[in-house]
Amino acid sequence: MSEMFQAMERVFQTMFQTMGEAVESLCMAVFYPILSRIFGPINTALGMLPNWMAGVCGVGLFVSAMIWVALILDPKYVNHGRPHKSIWTDLRLWTVISMTPHVLVYFYFR
Amino acid sequence: MESVIGLHFIDVIIVVVYMIGSLLLGLYCTRFVGSAEDFFIAGKALPFWAIGFSIVTSDIGATDFVAVAGAAYKNGVSAANFDWMGSMPAMVIAAFVFVPYFWRSGVFTIPEFLGRRYNTAVQFINGLIWTVVLFFMLAIMQWLSADKLIHTILGWDPYWTLWITALITGIYTFSGGLTAVVFTDVVQLIVMYVGGLGLLALSVWEVGGWSSLREQVLAKGPEFKDHFTLLLPHDTAGPFPWTGIVFGLGLVMAVAYMSGNQVIVQRTLGARSEWDAKGGMLFGGLLKFFIPLMVALPGLCAIVLVPQLGAENADRAVPEMIRLLMPAGLRGLMFAALFAAMMSHISATLNSTSTIFITDIVGQLRNWSGRRPLKEKTALLLGRITTAILIISTALLAEPIGNREQIYVYMQTILSMFQGPVLAILLLGIIWPRATGYGGLAGLVLGVTFCFILRNTPGLFPSEDPFLFVAWWSFVFALIVTIVVSLLTKREPEEKLRGMVWSSVIRDTDAQEALQERIAQ
Repeated sequence: MSEMFQAMERVFQTMFQTMGEAVESLCMAVFYPILSRIFGPINTALGMLPNWMAGVCGVGLFVSAMIWVALILDPKYVNHGRPHKSIWTDLRLWTVISMTPHVLVYFYFR
Repeated sequence: MESVIGLHFIDVIIVVVYMIGSLLLGLYCTRFVGSAEDFFIAGKALPFWAIGFSIVTSDIGATDFVAVAGAAYKNGVSAANFDWMGSMPAMVIAAFVFVPYFWRSGVFTIPEFLGRRYNTAVQFINGLIWTVVLFFMLAIMQWLSADKLIHTILGWDPYWTLWITALITGIYTFSGGLTAVVFTDVVQLIVMYVGGLGLLALSVWEVGGWSSLREQVLAKGPEFKDHFTLLLPHDTAGPFPWTGIVFGLGLVMAVAYMSGNQVIVQRTLGARSEWDAKGGMLFGGLLKFFIPLMVALPGLCAIVLVPQLGAENADRAVPEMIRLLMPAGLRGLMFAALFAAMMSHISATLNSTSTIFITDIVGQLRNWSGRRPLKEKTALLLGRITTAILIISTALLAEPIGNREQIYVYMQTILSMFQGPVLAILLLGIIWPRATGYGGLAGLVLGVTFCFILRNTPGLFPSEDPFLFVAWWSFVFALIVTIVVSLLTKREPEEKLRGMVWSSVIRDTDAQEALQERIAQ
């Protein structure tokens, strides 16, 4: 069984390696000239962004998710099927509680 | 450097007691299984807390304990992004966009949902891809955990470890189905927390506290200056630039994983109410917050305590910390935690694979051949037989498959190529009534093709392994293609969409009734 797998592996490795090299050459010749014109300026623009933008976008993702659930979504939809009306079963509060530690670590390790 | 860690008699007793306890708890859950629904989705009776615990344990494998600590040793806290940025925002999106929709539609699997939205061929193909990938992953994770982890650290015979864990997880998954998997997951996460937090506390104590750790690591030289920064610059040489982390991981890969992965979503499909399904996701997100603290921070402490390791041996950070810091008894608990992570990962994948196989492959083949759907008892029996065959065959093939790194790489590549485009059509299929069958097909095919081109055109992105950027841009591309082709093709008839689009399911009571009728069919 082991020998059979080794033989199969060798065949597949050779096949995939040859195919991989051919595909990469094709992509470099055909697509790189076009795609590099699109992604080159994007990479340059992103590279020029100041580092504080990373923190703003990272924390912003958490905060916007919190705002979406707590303030924008219909509370009836958010809490549909709620067992009782206690504040502790309000999933808007759960969202804020479960996301706050994440916001704090992204703020701390900025 | 000594490579094998010795265990005291008391440590072995703790590991054995833990394993027998897991088996007994799983067998106890057998009394709750009387139908296929009980076996595959726990009879829709799971409370939010059990779902939350189970989502975390299904996601964290034993190898993660070692690999994330190693990544933190090499790259710093940015390795924790996969459990923070890569979880919570995606879990909120899953909880309030995808989960209520799946739960209300009453499906057992994600391919089953795609079959209802598009057609049965999509369901069958998707189910087949998932079954094959999960089968290989099951074999690979069994061998990696038994050989590369337990054998390397403890020196135990990998075949014994493999067969004992396969036997225990196989027996309780075979008998108790998803209920047994979820409730053993609860215990397993508690054991993981006790072991992991114990290691964290001892590590931080040994380096002299948090401030001291920070000072000592930063004093090691300029290559450690970013070790306490989560979001690294766009042009960083490392694999985790902030743009890739926020857009590729946070908005695409994580959402695709939390909303489209059967192993994760199946827990919420078994919720006793929609509120429990959503609450389980949120609770799981909160529990996941602590995982990087247990697995990444000991890796940082290892920079100070075992500096001789070097980047090439970074994956030995956790084993060396266990050897250095943990006394007899605690070591047993830590290894029980590693076994817990290993077993929960295996049982979760096993149960999900058999669910997809019976629902989407056997069910569809019967449907196409004009035979009646499986009876409850037959489906339950087939589910159990599939579980038994899967665990035995993957354990038998674990070594030949798991030892071939190329297979693992191919599986990961196939999964990653589908993630962005599948998320795009899934999202548009749910939120945009105008999305058509042709639009979805074009988005999927061209999106995967674009992903393939990006992966094979080096030099387009600054990092050496730009998988995060590839995920983001293939998602954006598939989204645009689906929208454009949908607008150019004929609108889907109202009847087909009733009860299948998010806005109608959420707001329209008629559509809700239509959905209930579909479930009853």
